[in-house]
Amino acid sequence: MKTIKINFVLNGEEIVDEVPVNITLLDYLRDYLRLTGTKEGCGKGECGACTVIINGRSVNSCMVLIPQVDGKNVLTIEGLSNDGVTEIQEAFVEEGAIQCGFCTPGMVMSTYYLLSKNPHPDEEEIREGLSGNLCRCTGYKKIIEAVKRASGGKK
Amino acid sequence: MKEFEYLKPRDLNEALFFAREYKHRKKFLAGGTDLIVRLKDNLIREDYIIDIGEIKELKGIERKNGEIYIGPTTTHSEIIESQITKKYAPLLVEAVKTIGSPQIRNRGTIGGNVCNASPAGDSIPALVISGARFVIKSLDNERTIDIKDLFLGPGKTSIGDDEILYRIIIPEWKENEIGFFNKLGQRNAMSISIASVAVKLEREEGNKFKKAFVSFGAVSPVVNRATRCENLLTERELNSKDYIFEAASCAVNEVNPITDVRATREYRREVSKYLLYESLLNLLRIGG
Repeated sequence: MKTIKINFVLNGEEIVDEVPVNITLLDYLRDYLRLTGTKEGCGKGECGACTVIINGRSVNSCMVLIPQVDGKNVLTIEGLSNDGVTEIQEAFVEEGAIQCGFCTPGMVMSTYYLLSKNPHPDEEEIREGLSGNLCRCTGYKKIIEAVKRASGGKK
Repeated sequence: MKEFEYLKPRDLNEALFFAREYKHRKKFLAGGTDLIVRLKDNLIREDYIIDIGEIKELKGIERKNGEIYIGPTTTHSEIIESQITKKYAPLLVEAVKTIGSPQIRNRGTIGGNVCNASPAGDSIPALVISGARFVIKSLDNERTIDIKDLFLGPGKTSIGDDEILYRIIIPEWKENEIGFFNKLGQRNAMSISIASVAVKLEREEGNKFKKAFVSFGAVSPVVNRATRCENLLTERELNSKDYIFEAASCAVNEVNPITDVRATREYRREVSKYLLYESLLNLLRIGG
């Protein structure tokens, strides 16, 4: 098995490791580090359940090869809530934007990215911002309400 | 995922060296939004994956001498956010905005969209009507080709296996030009085009246009210009719905679609016509 040395920052901590070259960032997070907050849905970039932030950009971690992470700064759902539950997560709870919860980490990461680029999105921008995340339970209405709440557009 | 050798060249020169060394046994990796899925599905037979995603010489957007130069590993998001492309390549921006999702656009690159040569690649019709040119490099050569000489068929380009796409050049959008990119998919986000169309019209006066550029995506093996539609669009002033419908109807003879999981050949042919017709009415603000 071909391996590669990687060195990157994950949720504020430096990771140095030697890993097989042919695994994805998602595989590494879940199977090697047991950080199972990031979910695997489709495994091909359709559902967004595996969304993480790399160098400030939201990406599908199922479509990132582990060597591509070398030298980068990665933020996962676990890192987002290092200091307790964030306002975004609070808003999801308040609005009842969670049913089975499988898509929620990805939704929260996409919301985090959207608000980092556009702190006060309108509904159209929220829908566009979450367009890479599928939810099979809620019908999206409450998720959109949650993002509005998190952005201060609704109290 | 299949086993492979991962190589990460430090600069363009080293990448070109690897290209010459491994030729058809290698695949370039940029954003990976297509390649990694295909690696997982064991659809890649090449044994060397060459990561060119971080080579500085292949990234960025510049404006010089009335043209826009885009490095191939520039991401879709970077094109959407750049002040240069927003102002001088608005139609490309419009097209790229319809690709995938925020996550895909943050990762996928314009060069990847071009080099994959999918007939459904959403940047391609916009590049065709812009008259894009491509600078292609190998270790000891550099050549520039027109977009009409780039695509050979679905998934096939004329870029050699020891070459790398170095720049995409598009002429600046002019003040007397109007246009649109419109696509039909299953939904607005995350959908692969069933049919798409890009149009650029160069205004002479009022609704009379001296030049027209029309290109359909996802409805032919190779994305080309629809010259018969173009000719009709410059022949007369575009004021009547009937005449615009006649011009748009030419689309059925210009496209050569296939039946696949997304739509049938017949549907694609018909819908190309209406996609062009409705978008033209919308662009020219002719009520319906």
